Amino acid sequence: MTASSPAAPGRWLPEPEAFRLLAGYELPVIPHRLAASPDEAAAAAQELGFPVVLKIVSPDIIHKSDVGGVALNVPTPGDARTAFTRIRESAARHMPKAVVEGVVVARMAAPGTEVILGMLRDPQFGPAVMAGLGGVFVELYQDVVFRLPPLTPPEARAMLMELKAAPLLTGYRGQPPRDLDALARCASVVARIAAEHPEIQEMDLNPVLAYERGCVIVDAKILAR
Amino acid sequence: MSHPLDAIFRPKSVAVIGASNAPEKYGYIILKNILDAGFPGAVYPVNPKATEILGRPCTRSIAELPTGVDLAVIIIPAKAVPQAVADCGQRGIRAAIIISGGFAESGEEGAALQREVVESARRYGVRVVGPNCQGVNNPHHGLCASWPLLTLKGDIAVISQSGTVGAALMDWASQEQLGCSSFVSMGNRSDVDETDLIDYLAQDSHTRAIAAYLEGVKDLARFREAAARCKKPIVILKSGRTVEGRRAAESHTRSLAGRDELYTALFRQLGIHRADTLEDLYDATKALAYLPRPRGRRVVTITSSGGSGILATDWAEWSGLTIAPLPGPVADSLRGILPPHCIVANPLDLTGDANAVLYRQVADATAPHFDYQIIIFGDPILQASDVVTPGSPQLVVFLGGAEVERHERLRMHQKKVPVFPTPERGLRALARLYAFDGVAA
Repeated sequence: MTASSPAAPGRWLPEPEAFRLLAGYELPVIPHRLAASPDEAAAAAQELGFPVVLKIVSPDIIHKSDVGGVALNVPTPGDARTAFTRIRESAARHMPKAVVEGVVVARMAAPGTEVILGMLRDPQFGPAVMAGLGGVFVELYQDVVFRLPPLTPPEARAMLMELKAAPLLTGYRGQPPRDLDALARCASVVARIAAEHPEIQEMDLNPVLAYERGCVIVDAKILAR
Repeated sequence: MSHPLDAIFRPKSVAVIGASNAPEKYGYIILKNILDAGFPGAVYPVNPKATEILGRPCTRSIAELPTGVDLAVIIIPAKAVPQAVADCGQRGIRAAIIISGGFAESGEEGAALQREVVESARRYGVRVVGPNCQGVNNPHHGLCASWPLLTLKGDIAVISQSGTVGAALMDWASQEQLGCSSFVSMGNRSDVDETDLIDYLAQDSHTRAIAAYLEGVKDLARFREAAARCKKPIVILKSGRTVEGRRAAESHTRSLAGRDELYTALFRQLGIHRADTLEDLYDATKALAYLPRPRGRRVVTITSSGGSGILATDWAEWSGLTIAPLPGPVADSLRGILPPHCIVANPLDLTGDANAVLYRQVADATAPHFDYQIIIFGDPILQASDVVTPGSPQLVVFLGGAEVERHERLRMHQKKVPVFPTPERGLRALARLYAFDGVAA
């Protein structure tokens, strides 16, 4: 189970809006720009540094890759222009009625340990924060832990350590340990956002990539009432 | 000492509304249990059609009861209950235990009746346990307004949304000579719920640990406050964890079973132990009520059964305990005591030659060097109960001892030393003591 099930009524914030909200809490959001044309996409990519990723921005499209709305590892300005056009066309073909606000160009994040942080609002319990490790650990083993806000960074750290896959964060088979404090701070801020934004029903930060030092939010879905 | 629920747990006198002369009826069984448990105050059967029940003169109506009755046990058809509660309130009765079913658990009509009960209770200031419940038992007050008849006083309080599940725990505790501090079957929880009961039991001098069976928490906000204030260990078996199980819970006592993961989070954050099975609920509460808190994680196992010692070692390791080696001088002194074929190690296998005297010598010699002793009696060890010291950090497991075991277990329980039936159950219960204490590994 992930934090985004079952769906509650509301609207999914366009990703730049979701990123802006998170950045307002000083959360480490992947550097990105919103582009409205192939030229803007190329310029944004140049500014951010290659390679980049391009993602369609539409309140109607939640699963972007299902409609060909994502291009990964884009290496040059020319490729960014082509990718922009291809994404727009593909989205238009799959979902002709979707309102498209543009394309997000983001720096391609360095590989890290995939973490999922989420929040949901339960009719009985109110807000709950979820943490899990990405990939099979969440999907196959449902290895997730919940906490009810408020959530201090030390409590959030203890929460992460309760995951069965926690050794992947603390240094498994010679891998360097990941920045638990940075992740814990993110989870604690997610709890704060839940308290300060009652209109937010669900939130999926997936993945958050964890590094030896720091972490970065690569993808954010926020459902608001 | 005064608490709003005193009238439920420690009434001065009790009226049984719907008392009966028919031995198969709850109106008879409960009255008889109240009398047989030796309730110290006045007991008034109320029934318009009888003159005497179980040798007690019968009162015709609630209005004709003498003043000063503070608890009513109500066992009459559901449709008459709202009026009975109002009558109780007008007669100055402050609490009612409603055994009768036919309320919210049975459909919309019953739910409407239950709302009437709650309105009557609020208007006249009556606190209500139930309806649709199995009553209240407080052995420390000689009050068995419940069934079966159980009277042994102990340290464990049992609160339950299911009468049978709660009664089973109390039955086990009684059969083992440990007893209970109280038992409350909450039924439909129209008024008194787990939060009120935790609030009461937190200040009840006889209760050392609380075991609860719940299908859902009724009022989360109040529950969080009460549980955070309660300094005594709480163990909860929360059912309705699967989708099918949750559906059953909703139609059983119409409880709001929330998401299982969120209950896990809630209990974890409040320092509440979560039990997986009824046995686990019993074992964990027994350990938390009767065993002293550990200073650390270093344990030594003393056994007469090699297999049991290995089983205990596995579970100790899985529980994060440290099977530390015996200090050299201790090992040397033990070699002087033990038969030559014993392997002086941890676990310490005294083999089939073991007797109570040897156990005691080994326990005394190792006690200063370990945080907890796991003492396993794996044979009919006569006088085993002389080996253990109440209140000391010793986990006792007894198995394979037949009549001697049964006799010695009761003797140990009478000394308030809990005994567990298998190494697995014992070690899992012991691990509970480490759950929220942050004892260093």
